Amino acid sequence: MRLNTAAYYIREGLTNVRRNRAMTVASITSVTAALLILGLFLIIILNVDSMANQVESQLELKAFINDNYDMSKVTKVGEEIKAISGVKSITFESKKDALNNFKKQLGDKSYLVNGLENDNPMPQSFIVKVTDANMMKQVSEEIKKIDGVTQVSYGQDVVDKLLGIIKIIRIVGLFVILILFIISVVIISNTIKLGVFSRRREINIMKYIGATDWFIRWPFLVEGIVLGLVGSVLAIGILGFIYGYASDLVNNKLIIFTLLPAGVVIRQSLVYFLAIGSLIGALGSGISIKRFLNV
Amino acid sequence: MIKFVGVSKKYKNDIIAVSNINFTIDSGEFVFLVGPSGAGKSTILKLLLREEIPTTGSIFVDKKDITKLKRKEVPYLRRNIGVVFQDFKLLPNKTVYENIAFALQIVEAEPKYIRRRVPMVLSLVGLSDRANSYPQQLSGGEQQRVSIARAIVNEPSILVADEPTGNLDPDTSWEIVKLLSEINKRGTTVIMSTHAKDIVDSMKKRVIALEKGNIVRDEMRGVYGYEA
Ligand SMILES: Nc1ncnc2c1ncn2[C@@H]1O[C@H](COP(=O)(O)OP(=O)(O)O)[C@@H](O)[C@H]1O
Ligand SMILES: [Mg+2]
Repeated sequence: MRLNTAAYYIREGLTNVRRNRAMTVASITSVTAALLILGLFLIIILNVDSMANQVESQLELKAFINDNYDMSKVTKVGEEIKAISGVKSITFESKKDALNNFKKQLGDKSYLVNGLENDNPMPQSFIVKVTDANMMKQVSEEIKKIDGVTQVSYGQDVVDKLLGIIKIIRIVGLFVILILFIISVVIISNTIKLGVFSRRREINIMKYIGATDWFIRWPFLVEGIVLGLVGSVLAIGILGFIYGYASDLVNNKLIIFTLLPAGVVIRQSLVYFLAIGSLIGALGSGISIKRFLNV
Repeated sequence: MIKFVGVSKKYKNDIIAVSNINFTIDSGEFVFLVGPSGAGKSTILKLLLREEIPTTGSIFVDKKDITKLKRKEVPYLRRNIGVVFQDFKLLPNKTVYENIAFALQIVEAEPKYIRRRVPMVLSLVGLSDRANSYPQQLSGGEQQRVSIARAIVNEPSILVADEPTGNLDPDTSWEIVKLLSEINKRGTTVIMSTHAKDIVDSMKKRVIALEKGNIVRDEMRGVYGYEA
């Protein structure tokens, strides 16, 4: 493609954008609105992903060891646990440690366990971290098989439920994004269709004097991509502004999880947004030119 | 060289526009396509431009069967066939110069070549002084000259004109035909469909006469018709 031909495509594309100002404004507004909602879900998904990471990094299971095992036997069990795939790290908690931790948890009621030091009822255990939250169940089954392990525990119900919810949110989010994506494509496609229609005489003449399909297509693709890009830039601007406020608010009040900082979210989703914006524009115009080119 | 071999065209509404058309036009010929309205003149020109595809038969342009062209190849056929219409088909928001330059932009000619070539063609059609006018500021005859300039700026080997004088008064029509004849003398094959009996009769060129989709006459140095 010659440079002056590329310049021609861009010039004509921008002329299209200017020429039909009302439609341009209407379609940019609609695309911005659609991308705002799409962005909202994108941000929810990003946050859910980070939440999942936070959950995963906090996840650990406890393998209780037979009280009669001495240190050398315990070490052997530890090595067997370590060898299981999916195990990230293990820490030993002696009977004494367990009692101290329990005391700490009781806080000012720690007097309740006073005097137990000599006949410590707390079990010795390994605290096992796994590489992936979805491995919890499998790893715990493996550990249970080891001789000397009396019991394995983790917050089964909570973890499984949480992971389930995260999965649902992601599926719903992706579904909503897909629908809004299609809506945006249709909006742009309609705008371009009007542009193509108002220039049909010109297109007809171009075909008679031997213009290739791509020569005719490019200015409209440029127009669509410009509409999509402007829409996505506006959407991310607005979204960043609102999210900045919201995350400040939530992070000061919310307990369990922290929302990703606005800067991180915007930076992570900027590329998605620009890509989605141009893709929407290109698809939208591509669809409408295809039908009109068959002269 | 153009060759129609057993060409028929039936439109979607079952109208048979032309049937079993056979003719050969050599390079450098000047041919009139005559016949009453609805005889199939435009259809033949559209088939040649590959705007329509024949229902049966083959059409050769320079030995190549254009009925078998792929969609992608059609623009390159059209770059070799300049075309002029009754209604000029100029772009109203482009100047005379820009209208002609556009045909070169489309084939991605060098800007330097465009700047040299457009004034040349403008002077050939006698419109050097109107380069910066817009089509609606020109008379019908002048607009048709612009459209002829646009059609030949690419130096096509064939020029097709579908009733180019249909909207023009007799004097202006003569000027246009003289211009086409001038272009023909420079080596371009010219095919012109027309109703203008006077012009056809005094030009003494080859005449292909159509009636109801059939060739009824094909004569060298012919006349429009024998009707009473
Ligand atoms: N696109 C079309 N669809 C259906 N019928 C057509 C079409 N174009 C032309 N015709 C018909 O084909 C016949 C020949 O038309 P045309 O080639 O335009 O004749 P001419 O140019 O000699 O006046 C006419 O009966 C006309 O109505
Ligand atoms: Mg006609």
